[in-house]
Amino acid sequence: MLLPTAKYCGSDAETVKFEVNPADARYQTTDGRTTGASPYVLNAGQVDRDRPSEPRRDANGKITALGELRTRLTGLQDDINEFLTQRMELAKGKKPKLQGNQAKQEERIENEIKELLDGGDGEDDADGL
Amino acid sequence: MGLDHSLKLEIPFENARQATIAKEVLKPDPILKPQDFQVHYTTAKNVLLVSFQSIDDRVLRVGVSSVIDSIKTIIETIDELDGPPISSSPTI
Repeated sequence: MLLPTAKYCGSDAETVKFEVNPADARYQTTDGRTTGASPYVLNAGQVDRDRPSEPRRDANGKITALGELRTRLTGLQDDINEFLTQRMELAKGKKPKLQGNQAKQEERIENEIKELLDGGDGEDDADGL
Repeated sequence: MGLDHSLKLEIPFENARQATIAKEVLKPDPILKPQDFQVHYTTAKNVLLVSFQSIDDRVLRVGVSSVIDSIKTIIETIDELDGPPISSSPTI
């Protein structure tokens, strides 16, 4: 039995192993959930001409070993895509916080530059009188 | 920022010859932004090993899914041209 596997390792040292369960329906189709045309486009009446072909069958009608491999790889691809999309969402959630910090930092630097250009130690204000 | 997001893919084929064909077909594909994303193909007997390294999860997702799409096409092609016959009728 040909079972593809995958292992992810993130920058935060998170490690995830992806495995295929051949009995699960998600690993028995060539029609992936995260690939192909979006439901929005299909509902608008568009015909998906790039839809993947069904897994190949031999003379006895049994799906070939490579046909099965293709269905399992489709399921594994969905697993990886969904996982990475989730990670992307999490990273997006973190971004505004980082941007907020960055904005504060930029404001601080800008104030420091302004102070330096004005004379640096506030003595100008006193001299100006 | 380094390529600190990685994914290793292992795809077993029916034999070493098929795994090598897949590797040789995939290898010439150029990587458009090698500073952001890299792919390495090797084989171990009948298994195709694909190693991805990326700058972030978004680039990794796009690159991995694209390579898997290519691998699925290769599998389908090998199955069509090198697989068992679909009927017992003689070919011309």
